[in-house]
Amino acid sequence: MPIEQYAALSGLLFIIGGVGFIVRRNVLVQLMSIELMLNAANLALIAFNRSHVRPLAGSAGAASALPSHTGQVFAFFLIAAEAAEVAVGLAIVLALYRLRRTIRSDEADLLKN
Amino acid sequence: MNIALALSPLLVVGIGALLLMLAEAFSTNPSRDLAGTGGTGGLALGATTVLFTSAAFACTVWMVGVENVGDVSAVAPWLILDRFTLFFDITLCLGGGLASLLAGGYLLEHRIDRGEFYALILFATFGAMMLAAAGDALTLFLGLETMSIGAYAMTAFRRASARSAEGALKYFLLGSFAAALLIYGFALIYGATGHTDLAGIGASARSAGGRSPMFIVGALLVLVGMVFKVSAVPFHAWAPDAYEGAPTPATAFMAVAVKAGAFAMLLRVLVLALGDAGWTSWASGWPPVVATLCVLTMTVANVIAGRQESVKRMLAYSSIAHAGYLLLGVTAMMQNPAQGIASVLFYLLAYTASTAGAFGALILCGSFEREAVSYEDLAGIGKRHPAPALAFSLFLVSLAGIPPTAGFFAKWFIFKAAIEGGLYWLAIIGFVNSVIGAYYYLRVLVFMYMREPAAGAEFARPMRSGYVTAALLVSAILVLALGLTPTRYLDLAIGAATFGNG
Repeated sequence: MPIEQYAALSGLLFIIGGVGFIVRRNVLVQLMSIELMLNAANLALIAFNRSHVRPLAGSAGAASALPSHTGQVFAFFLIAAEAAEVAVGLAIVLALYRLRRTIRSDEADLLKN
Repeated sequence: MNIALALSPLLVVGIGALLLMLAEAFSTNPSRDLAGTGGTGGLALGATTVLFTSAAFACTVWMVGVENVGDVSAVAPWLILDRFTLFFDITLCLGGGLASLLAGGYLLEHRIDRGEFYALILFATFGAMMLAAAGDALTLFLGLETMSIGAYAMTAFRRASARSAEGALKYFLLGSFAAALLIYGFALIYGATGHTDLAGIGASARSAGGRSPMFIVGALLVLVGMVFKVSAVPFHAWAPDAYEGAPTPATAFMAVAVKAGAFAMLLRVLVLALGDAGWTSWASGWPPVVATLCVLTMTVANVIAGRQESVKRMLAYSSIAHAGYLLLGVTAMMQNPAQGIASVLFYLLAYTASTAGAFGALILCGSFEREAVSYEDLAGIGKRHPAPALAFSLFLVSLAGIPPTAGFFAKWFIFKAAIEGGLYWLAIIGFVNSVIGAYYYLRVLVFMYMREPAAGAEFARPMRSGYVTAALLVSAILVLALGLTPTRYLDLAIGAATFGNG
């Protein structure tokens, strides 16, 4: 598969996630939309990694040109950071649910101008 | 060894945070679920000590000279260790230290006396320091997330309060949405250039690849993600709610350290990655975007702040307005790099002291177990409790930008940098806004000194806390020192305004 198709898929996922975040009012769906956007970033990083094969620092000549795994390594860190973020996010959603019995973001309306 | 010295501010906070968390877990705290009787006081002291020690290490490295402590390229390009980083280390540790001092008094008073708060402050400060040092999209993202996750948890810390949970939810949703935009932007830039390090992105931006559609969309997403984090209008919707819902020490921390970290990120990315002639020109770069955001932020935030009835929410909008003044300095950076960056750094230092102090005075003036203080609650406090009222007045005067306080010279340097950069109309809008802003700060003073409380109304009784008093003293000394000998500190800021060790 050419890179362009991966890039298009990742763009599509990102847009679905972004639109989902904006139009849906269920906090859990919004959380999933954010996950979709972050996974789109993961997919893009891993796909683009294929197109950026550079000689590693210290290696000489084209023969030893190995892929630099910047994008793939980046994706691993991203997955870990996402997990931490979702853990805190779900805790906040639970805290709100216990107090207000709702998981809709438009019903969280105590704080206003 | 040498690299350990250069990294010492980060190491001290990181190791200190881990030790503090251990100490909290193993301490037998009998007051856990009862009325707070001083179980975590030691932790507040510990967190403050760690952060001020880190600031002292940063000062030491500064005085020795970063270029003399050894080869800092071992951590390049992930972390950039230069005077800019050290300046932010000092500012962030100061903000974090003041916030933990405030927490030492506040958490007890409001019976949410749990030691996790201090570990969260330390980890979030660690994230902000990493963010300020980041020279690569990866460390930038990790620092941003470490900082933000700590801040989300701190916002939700009053677990019995629906307002706290709601503020945290809004902060979390919009904050992680912004992080997703930012990271997708960096992914696109990586696709266009093959670089994730900011300097490499900057080098590619100069070449032909820097104008490919993918790069432009990526840069736009990164910019939007960053201005979300600095809470610029129209991306500020989360800020007032999160600031009002959070416990006040957490609000102070977010207003001070999180904002400073976000501005460090903005400066780094704009200068290193998008700092070439094309991207910094008015015709084809980011300056018009940042200038528009700056005008919107200052004006909208100042107008809305004037309409608030809660002093805490007023201070929240005021902190958004201050982000607007800071963006003025960022715009000035394009014509006048050294002056612009130095003015932003000085402003952040002055703003840190004034804002932490103002929130501290608000904590002190709030009566027992009540925290959303309205203007009426402060009526007459100047006569009954002159000392807290005097401290509050000093910080508000500084935030309003009236001499001889830190805030005046901070604004002065920002406007000066803008005028020297040829941005006359922006400087004028900024000046008009700071006059509008003075209205709502002085309104607090009017209520404190010239109004009597309504008949039968409950008096606000200032709490007594050594921690809060210490925080107020430190901030007051800083506000006066920056206001009376501004050039000394401005020289430090100018020294910090160059990236790298050149």
